[in-house]
Amino acid sequence: MLNMTRREWLAAVGAGAGAAALTGCTQRVQFTPSSVSIVRAPHYDQSLYDTVRRIVQDHGLDVRGKRVVLKPNLVEFEPESTINTHPMLVHAAYEAFRAAGAASVAIAEGPGHRRNTLDMADAAGYFDTVGGFEDLFTDLNLDDVTHVRPQRQFSRLGKLYLPNTVLGADLLVSMPKLKTHHWTGATLSMKNLFGVVPGGVYGWPKNVLHWAGLHECIADLHALFPRQFAIVDGIVGMEGNGPIQGTPKKAGVLIAGADPVAVDATCCRVMQIDPFQIGYLRLASGKPDAHLMERNIRQLGEAISTVATPFELPPDFPNLRLRPLEMGGVA
Amino acid sequence: MSLDRLIGKQNSDGGWPHVRGKSWTEPTVYAVLALWTAGEKQAAERGLAWLRATQRADGGWGPQPGIDESNWTTGLVALLPPEAIGPKIHAEAIAWLMGTTGHETSFEYRLREWLLGTPKRRELEFAGWPWIPGAAAWVGPTSVAVLALEKEYARRPLAGIRERIDDGRRFLLARACEDGGWNHGSVGALGYASKAYPETTGMALAALRGVRAPQIDPALTIARQFLSDCRSADAQNWLRLGLSAHGALPPQYCLPPGISFRTVPEASLELLLADAHTGKGVFWC
Repeated sequence: MLNMTRREWLAAVGAGAGAAALTGCTQRVQFTPSSVSIVRAPHYDQSLYDTVRRIVQDHGLDVRGKRVVLKPNLVEFEPESTINTHPMLVHAAYEAFRAAGAASVAIAEGPGHRRNTLDMADAAGYFDTVGGFEDLFTDLNLDDVTHVRPQRQFSRLGKLYLPNTVLGADLLVSMPKLKTHHWTGATLSMKNLFGVVPGGVYGWPKNVLHWAGLHECIADLHALFPRQFAIVDGIVGMEGNGPIQGTPKKAGVLIAGADPVAVDATCCRVMQIDPFQIGYLRLASGKPDAHLMERNIRQLGEAISTVATPFELPPDFPNLRLRPLEMGGVA
Repeated sequence: MSLDRLIGKQNSDGGWPHVRGKSWTEPTVYAVLALWTAGEKQAAERGLAWLRATQRADGGWGPQPGIDESNWTTGLVALLPPEAIGPKIHAEAIAWLMGTTGHETSFEYRLREWLLGTPKRRELEFAGWPWIPGAAAWVGPTSVAVLALEKEYARRPLAGIRERIDDGRRFLLARACEDGGWNHGSVGALGYASKAYPETTGMALAALRGVRAPQIDPALTIARQFLSDCRSADAQNWLRLGLSAHGALPPQYCLPPGISFRTVPEASLELLLADAHTGKGVFWC
């Protein structure tokens, strides 16, 4: 004890308290498997339009007469990089939901660092790819807001204002990149919801979320949007020191489903990352973690083992790698 | 966007939206500054009335009425001339700024870091301003607060104001990126150097007007590079202002083609800078 640093001592006290709190968490739960599609998509080309239309059909999404909001991930002014969700994928989703009878399909995003969202969308190719983009797009950082309370509160956030555009959506479609993340391990469809938190209220970066607990805030946001669908852009993702300074990683897949926890757990397995090591996934899946188990996810399309490719881990997360036993689908 | 178009975007309550929708504090201040400077006093006065009506009990302004916390936009209001917004209201805005710092320089945070044995980091030593109280300080709100307090200091040269300005400027100097400019305020993460952004480089340079420090020359170099390369209206505005603050705007400068001033703050700032490319009288005395 005398040889411990203050940090080690506090960590030991915290670990003891955590272990005590977790004692007895072995109850069995009834579970309805969620469906997750893994679809090969080798390139950003015209074939994406058919691919995304098939995904929407395969999941039996009934969006007739509904308001759909597509939420891509726009991070930086780097059109040649893999930082941002590719505009062609977003346009393919726009066309697919329109064809499926949605009353409206909007595109909305609130970047975390840069204030000039429209300029960034322009630089990322959205104006060139999506006809009438400016009329379809809402900058969630500057949208009118409503005060909400998470249904399940994990974070220390006292109150939360969210944009009316996403609160009014009948279906929120999270469209992130498949990326590693230097604070959370991986950034996927759930972490993508940080972009719905309005910078106009919380600033750039949305630092309040970090103070209130990063993983906990992600879980809070997930709980606030029960009507979601996720389409993850894993055609070319990012590995290493993501979500900004990592390197491109070709995975050649789209991963999609109506249950973001199951989608993100599957994304992790594709990246050969252990989903049980991702804090926000464990929080959102509930104590027994049944939600995260591969056997509890109904996989559509490709098998994980046929598309899995090891993403280089972020520097501070050496223990995220999925172990061989779990790669075999036992977990 | 012309003055007429800016006036046309004014909401019936007297305030302005960012693009469309309800009135927000930030676009309203920028629009009022542009109209007041251009002598369009009638529309400006309606905006000022909106601002007076939306001031919060703590002396600050929230981003939008209905959001129950004052934030960084109070620094923007403090840029307005006291004779326009009203001397008492202006003094309250300044008092709010003087009482606000980033959470990382609070006693509570420093005690926590000491308990955790976290090594001291130079960029956390100086008090800047947060976007919203309770969060960390960042380059954007710190630059705006420094500009507002510097104008106030020219009117009321008080030691306390000088101290906050100097500390805010030290905060900015400590947050300069390796490439010479500024981003939102993070010099690096996990040992990797972060890159500067054009718009925040312009903002920080404007707030560092008159400062002599080794960081300034590299910042002016990258700002000129950004000015010729970037196609963002917000960035062009702030780079012009930041370079003008140091007398370093290229004399042959003209706005690159194809720039879209899509938001009210972008259009208002462009109107303010269009003629003289300088912030004199608006951002400094």
